[in-house]
Amino acid sequence: MTNPTLALRSVSKSFGMTAALSDMTLELFPGEVHAIVGENGAGKSTMIKIMTGVYQPSSGQIELDGAAVVLPGTKAARLRGVAAIYQEPMVFPDLDVTENISISSTEGLVLHRGAMRRAAEALIARIGMKLDVDRVASGLTLAEQQAVEIARALSQDVRVLIMDEPTASLSAHEATELRRIAKSLAEGGVSVVYISHRLEEVFQVADRVTVIRDGMHISTRLVGETNPQLLIAEMVGREVGNYFTKMASTARDEVLLSVHDLGVAGVFQGISFDLRRGEVLAMSGLIGARRTDVALALFGILKISSGTVSYKGAPLKVASPRDAIAAGIAYVSEDRRKLGLAMALPIRWNISLATLRRYLSALGLIDVKAEAGMAEVFRQRLNIRTPDVEMAVGMLSGGNQQKVMLAKWLNMEPDLLIVDEPTRGIDVGAKAEVHDLIRAFAAAGGAVLVVSSDLPEVLAMGDRILVMREGRQMAVIEAADASQERIMALATGQRGAA
Amino acid sequence: MLQKIAPQTLRLLALVAVMVLITLFFASQISGFLNGRLFNRISSSVAIMALIATGQTLVILTRNIDLSVGSIVGFVAFATGLMVGHHPDLNPIVLLVFSMLIGAGFGLVNGVLVAYARVPSIIVTLATMALYRSSLVWFSDGKSITTESLPQWLINFPNTVLFSLGAMEFRAAFCASLVVVIAVALAMAKLRPARQIYAVGSNPEAADLAGIDAARVVLAAFVLSGVLSGLAGYMFLARYGTITVVAGLGFELKSVASAVVGGVNIFGGSGSVIGAFLGAILVDLLENGLRLLPGLSEFWREAVLGALILAAVATDTVISRRLAAVRAARAQKEALAAREVAP
Repeated sequence: MTNPTLALRSVSKSFGMTAALSDMTLELFPGEVHAIVGENGAGKSTMIKIMTGVYQPSSGQIELDGAAVVLPGTKAARLRGVAAIYQEPMVFPDLDVTENISISSTEGLVLHRGAMRRAAEALIARIGMKLDVDRVASGLTLAEQQAVEIARALSQDVRVLIMDEPTASLSAHEATELRRIAKSLAEGGVSVVYISHRLEEVFQVADRVTVIRDGMHISTRLVGETNPQLLIAEMVGREVGNYFTKMASTARDEVLLSVHDLGVAGVFQGISFDLRRGEVLAMSGLIGARRTDVALALFGILKISSGTVSYKGAPLKVASPRDAIAAGIAYVSEDRRKLGLAMALPIRWNISLATLRRYLSALGLIDVKAEAGMAEVFRQRLNIRTPDVEMAVGMLSGGNQQKVMLAKWLNMEPDLLIVDEPTRGIDVGAKAEVHDLIRAFAAAGGAVLVVSSDLPEVLAMGDRILVMREGRQMAVIEAADASQERIMALATGQRGAA
Repeated sequence: MLQKIAPQTLRLLALVAVMVLITLFFASQISGFLNGRLFNRISSSVAIMALIATGQTLVILTRNIDLSVGSIVGFVAFATGLMVGHHPDLNPIVLLVFSMLIGAGFGLVNGVLVAYARVPSIIVTLATMALYRSSLVWFSDGKSITTESLPQWLINFPNTVLFSLGAMEFRAAFCASLVVVIAVALAMAKLRPARQIYAVGSNPEAADLAGIDAARVVLAAFVLSGVLSGLAGYMFLARYGTITVVAGLGFELKSVASAVVGGVNIFGGSGSVIGAFLGAILVDLLENGLRLLPGLSEFWREAVLGALILAAVATDTVISRRLAAVRAARAQKEALAAREVAP
């Protein structure tokens, strides 16, 4: 057998008293796609940062081609052919594709645009993409930005390419494309490290898969010798019956929201559904299906141009999020970082943000005691793992951030809760907890609209499932009649599947 | 058609168009506005401001700001005047290097504090603006540099007419400044280290992961800003001859105004020194025009200037956002069309 390109030998890393990685051993061989799975906080990010020179191991060593090396920084790692790309692409929005690809190069003082451009075109072609190399990066889609990043890594003769959740924000079509690129890079002799929460894609793309848990190596197997159930069991350290349990419907008779032929000019049209109290309606579709835009229209952010919406038995009139909130509609954004939470502010402040009026004393000052009491109630009810509610939200894990965001909107006591990608990028355990919280809200008489790209989630949560494709409603199907295959068929435009 | 032109170029063209419109407006309101004297006045003043604005642009591109430039100009002008007063036969080039080195020293202090001590640049340079100015007061002991103490060549230099177009005189100071601006502009477009300045301002995290030493880039930007301010201090001394402790006061804000009017993004990452140069001209044009405008009191002049700068930047922002949106929509449409074609 050939030597591993890169190997971690008993690598440990601790921050103060916390051990993020302990005694980690990993071997990456040329030409393999090596998947790494583990819950959030299992130590995957720490491991990537050690391999890319961001962190130094506390003990143990890194070997490249069998020789121990020290990688004192990302630049040193890049020069030795170790590079990483992330879920959020690291491009330079103000520079064009050519400049983005050539930025890491250190050859020569004077730039030669013509040569750089040809090199960029060649690299883009090598990964099988079509992309105008003169376009400015800020106008590219996420998938295109990732392609730019991969091309940049290739420009430096990458030997180990680490892909951290690369498909988390991509549409199914783009994700397939990216997996194809990963495979073709491996066929060219690169060691590809593929980190993903989507187990089904691990089985599509990887040759071997390593499970890590609590900073420790649990197992490394050929994909043919394992299965999703086994991986999940190893990730969480216990047997899990299925991805998620199908939840029983809690729907009541009263129709809360009735949408008829809803449209926003140039965005989507012809959306019709009823939503009863206690019911969870899941909206499924590929990226670009405009599901979020339907949510934004109901929340008053997009201007409705056609159709009727009746809410609590009367026509819905919302011209702004303020109106929507006043009417008892809450919208939990898919983008925690940008639209959901103030990362630098304490949990308590975030939870009371939309409802601060309630915690004002007679003088108009904030009643901190009442506010903190409420935050504490939510901390316990939602099982937000934090020492106290004064902690900055940015310090929490993704799953706990998601819970804080839910707390913020549940605190409003809405009638209609719209949640957009409620479990993106959070670990399996936290996902189940978030699902339970949403179902509990419905069981108490609220109505829920869930927008999700995660098919197991859609199937587990939805009492009914509305499938969209490119701004059109394809079908509304009962949970009992739904399957991943059927939803995917509708989402990709086979009307016959309805 | 518009699609073909790079957004940056489009911005510069828009700036030139605005400049022409403003000139026409003033010309219609003020009799004899368009004459050689106006050009000479503006070019003399821009000769100094363009250098400072160029340095300011480099700093702003890295997501920072340099508020100490005015104090650096003042200090360097004074120190250079003192130096040449004591050594009147000093080689002009040596004197120039002396000015630039002092500027570089001040820039280095700013840069180290911002890049390595990680203090926000607005705080660092607000403090050093006061510190450099105070050290000028202490250093000068309240005395002034006067024209009499300066050698004749230095006083003659800025007003030497290299060539003229009609009544428009191209004087040495303006031409020298123009050469520096063009040289920096070319370097920014063509040199690898310059590209790193854009990269750091555009996405610091990505720059770090791409193996760019962001701290060193920021340091370099501040040092260059110091050097250019030092150069401006030299020009300031040559132009005015008389240097007091208030020399260069207010230049920091005018240089920031020039940069943003010239389309440099105050949040870093995009913009050009040519833009800042045009911005400096535009600000000066407005100042001169407003001064001559009949019926506008001195009291209102500053207010109108401020409002016009705000309007210019707001218009620019709105236009470029719209443009970006249009382009993005078009790109998306093309992408969708491409996907339809694909199986």
